[in-house]
Amino acid sequence: MSELTRAQIRDLMGEVMKAQGKELPGDDSADLREIGFRSLDFSELALRVEDEIGDELNFDAPGLRQIAKVGDVLDFIEQLQSA
Amino acid sequence: MTAQRRTTALIGDDNRVVVGGKTLTWRTLHKLPQLPSPAAVLVDNGADALAAVRHHAVHGTELLVATSSRVDLGMREELGESGFAVVIANGDEHSVTPAKLKRVEESGRVWLLTSGSTGRPKRIGHTLESLTTVRGQQQPRTWLVPYSPGTYAWWQVITISLTQADQGLVVIEPSDLETWPMIAAEHGVTAASGTPTFWRQTIYRDTEALAKVPLEQITLGGEPVDQAILDRLKEIFPQARISWIYASSEVGASIVVHDGLAGFPKTWLDRDPQSVSDPESERPILHVDGDELVISSPHHGAGLEGAHRTGDRVEFVEDRVLITGRLDTDEINVGGSKVSAGLVRNVLMAHPAVAWARVFARKAPLVGRMVAAEVVADPDLGPITDADLVQWCTTRLPDYGVPRRIRFLDEIPQKETLKSDV
Repeated sequence: MSELTRAQIRDLMGEVMKAQGKELPGDDSADLREIGFRSLDFSELALRVEDEIGDELNFDAPGLRQIAKVGDVLDFIEQLQSA
Repeated sequence: MTAQRRTTALIGDDNRVVVGGKTLTWRTLHKLPQLPSPAAVLVDNGADALAAVRHHAVHGTELLVATSSRVDLGMREELGESGFAVVIANGDEHSVTPAKLKRVEESGRVWLLTSGSTGRPKRIGHTLESLTTVRGQQQPRTWLVPYSPGTYAWWQVITISLTQADQGLVVIEPSDLETWPMIAAEHGVTAASGTPTFWRQTIYRDTEALAKVPLEQITLGGEPVDQAILDRLKEIFPQARISWIYASSEVGASIVVHDGLAGFPKTWLDRDPQSVSDPESERPILHVDGDELVISSPHHGAGLEGAHRTGDRVEFVEDRVLITGRLDTDEINVGGSKVSAGLVRNVLMAHPAVAWARVFARKAPLVGRMVAAEVVADPDLGPITDADLVQWCTTRLPDYGVPRRIRFLDEIPQKETLKSDV
């Protein structure tokens, strides 16, 4: 299956937030701590992406980086898909 | 000793045995030709397996019996090199591959193959005596035999019938597993032993048919036993005694619990085996080292005396000791917080609309592992969504223990061993 677009990843991120009773803001610069998007949520998002694309993501490929904002999450997942 | 074994074994010779659609007795089963000794008898049906057991009971020849599907060509080679003639039994016809190694037989020896859930199956030595753990006088019963021939659980049921009067058998072939309640009701089965997966699958398929079986004794074993399945069976069979047994080829039947609760009382740990009221009865010593169950059992296999590390993980919940799963797979480390897959599974299966669940770890970024699950929903109580189950778990588990990815399966998976690798 082909890679997900940034918009599709954002939709999945919204589903993760919704399952926690929260809402994903439209602004990529929103702070993850402020919107309550935690490491477990990030991990769930990665698994949702894996299930969508039918393949495992290579978590080891991209270098460590700070993930503080919504846009960082989307960047990171995009990078994982192409790793 | 051999003479005593043979006399004891044949007490049940006139017990009724329903197998392959025929009503027989142990005595009137078809006879296998004189078997070589040692022999590995590979069977494709219950009748041949029972015939091999009776042959052993009468002649004392060294025997391993297993379904042919469990013994691949490589293992047949190994058996030949270990001195076993490999016999493919099929009713009155059979083929024999002579042993490659000539050795002296161990008279009275019975060999079991472990399930292989932790690698390649191993051979464990027993005798009819060591396999016969139910010795007290039993009420007359007709036992269901759903287990695969040659497994420890199968031998447990078989030896009851072989060594005690009025203990009949109704053998279920793999092709009849889906409809066993109808066969059991027709032949008046009053006692049945199966894995939790076996019972769940039966309830899932046809609860009404199950309820028509006149069960007085229900036994569960072979997998972790959770409260939800015990309660569900009690609802269907309020008058039956419901027991669960912890048993393996290595340590035998070591824990038997009749109080209708999952786990066993903490007070059973490290009990003095001499403190029992009946000095003739032998009792295993149960111990927990770290979170592993360690058992010293009088029913152990040959050469396995003393404390045996079971590889099974336990958790203490109030005054009970719960066996949650295999040590190497049960504990899921989610970002440094540890959770038992078995306990998460228990929570999922306590949901009224869940017929079966499997819980496992999935590799995930940041936290290393996440809890995931596969679920079969009860069609009569559904529909349910993954969000419903996440919500259910959120109120009962710490956040790191909540399965975040839940996949629904169409039916309960089950292997030849009646287990589902939970």
